[in-house]
Amino acid sequence: MARTRTTLTRAIILLALAAVFFITLDLSGSSSTSNLRRAFDTIFAPVEGVARVVTRPVSNAWKAIRDYDDVIDENDRLKEQVALQEGAAVAAAASVRLSQELLALNGLPTLAGINSVTAQVIGDTPTNFSQTVEINQGANSGIKVGMPVLNAAGLIGKVTEVFADRALVMLISDPDYALSVKVVTKSSRTPVTLPPLPTEDAPTVDSVIETTDTSSTSSTSSTTTTILGFTPGTTTIPPEVVAGAGGGSNITVPVASQLAVRETGILEGRGPGTRPIVRFLDASTRASAIEVGAPIVSAGGSRSLAPPDIVIGVVSRVVERLGTAGPVLEIDLVADLSSLSFLRVLLYQPITETGK
Amino acid sequence: MFERVLRAVASRWFRLVLVVLIALSVQTTLFTEVRPFGFAIQLIAIFVAVVGSTHDVQTGAVVGLISGFMYDAVLATPLGISALVLGALGAIAALVMQPFREPTWWLRVIAVSVVAAFGEILMPIVKSVVGLSGWLDVRILGAAAVTFVGALVVSSALIPVSRWTLQERVGRGD
Repeated sequence: MARTRTTLTRAIILLALAAVFFITLDLSGSSSTSNLRRAFDTIFAPVEGVARVVTRPVSNAWKAIRDYDDVIDENDRLKEQVALQEGAAVAAAASVRLSQELLALNGLPTLAGINSVTAQVIGDTPTNFSQTVEINQGANSGIKVGMPVLNAAGLIGKVTEVFADRALVMLISDPDYALSVKVVTKSSRTPVTLPPLPTEDAPTVDSVIETTDTSSTSSTSSTTTTILGFTPGTTTIPPEVVAGAGGGSNITVPVASQLAVRETGILEGRGPGTRPIVRFLDASTRASAIEVGAPIVSAGGSRSLAPPDIVIGVVSRVVERLGTAGPVLEIDLVADLSSLSFLRVLLYQPITETGK
Repeated sequence: MFERVLRAVASRWFRLVLVVLIALSVQTTLFTEVRPFGFAIQLIAIFVAVVGSTHDVQTGAVVGLISGFMYDAVLATPLGISALVLGALGAIAALVMQPFREPTWWLRVIAVSVVAAFGEILMPIVKSVVGLSGWLDVRILGAAAVTFVGALVVSSALIPVSRWTLQERVGRGD
């Protein structure tokens, strides 16, 4: 009896030390723990598969009891929504295509150039202290740790564990999730207002001639665009486009600084049922410059977890802070994380996640 | 050699691993779907608390640590966190039952429920200690309450399972 107790005490010490060792190893980003998980998964996956089949009737009965009325209501609402959006979808598709063509024309990265894998959500998180879902695609489909995951609405999270035929996706709402994002804000400068032009002074654009003027005294060559009737150094507007020209109306010309400004910050999850926030905005950003409803998109960049311009959500509340701390934004996610079904994993592995 | 392997397979620890594997599969399938008020009932924590309440401190701790490692292997959380929490739960459950010489079944069920619910509070604390903050809020009380009620329902059924799993079988050569 005493011998058994000594053996058990030794086992406790050994296992507790092993736990501390593995926590340290895992938090330092070692891939050896992932290998351990994969090894365990080969044993566990068949058992889980059998359990899924056996317990399905019970979970289906639970869902039927709990969700039936909600499902009926949602179905009616969705039918109405689909009817409303059918027309808008055609126009949106045309706009997206045009946008992608423009981005491609200017050599800018687009999501259209990144391959993706469609996956289905097969499980939720078994604990109350992590926000993950399990999908039915894994390493065999080319999925790797760190790849961004989207649904039809927008970004929903990133892949954190990959097994042969399944993977775990950490949702945006998980407190461990952070991503650099862009917020489209209003300009802080006032627009330039030009005085009314006399009709006779306003030139017309006849044709555009491009000439190249290379100066022999300068080491650089410059290309200028000359418009007939246009005098360099003065700002003139053709009468055809001047509203009320000659009638004495002022005209407002948008300057470059008046265009939408993009502030960057870090989006952080705050757990289920709580809106994610965007922090670390530039301290000089005025809270009033950010509108409720302003879109939030991924910032992109070589070290970002996601490619640029993936829609994430909209600003729902702007919290101004005292001192040098910039404002904090609460975000309404466009994706409904509570009812995920089909997802798209972008086959884009960030530099920071390579080798995992 | 072959006899040693057979003995290892027949040992109570091997039996424990198989039972935890089944419990884990139920946890990751049924109890991820059946979520009263949005919270998952922690079957593994309840099982560890049951083992602690029916055995001594050391056995409870070892069972908790082993079950925790297995649970961590299917989660995205750092490997070892659940092991520490469940190891502590197993030991606490045994300590809670120590003052009672012959506890009644309902006393054991209440003790298991309280300890399992405490595990739901201990988990975010341990996560915060290792730097995974963000989970310490009032929500943990909901998680603890759901696991408490879940334990009241299922723990009486798990008591015979834990006794069968960890019973010593004295055979030839023992």
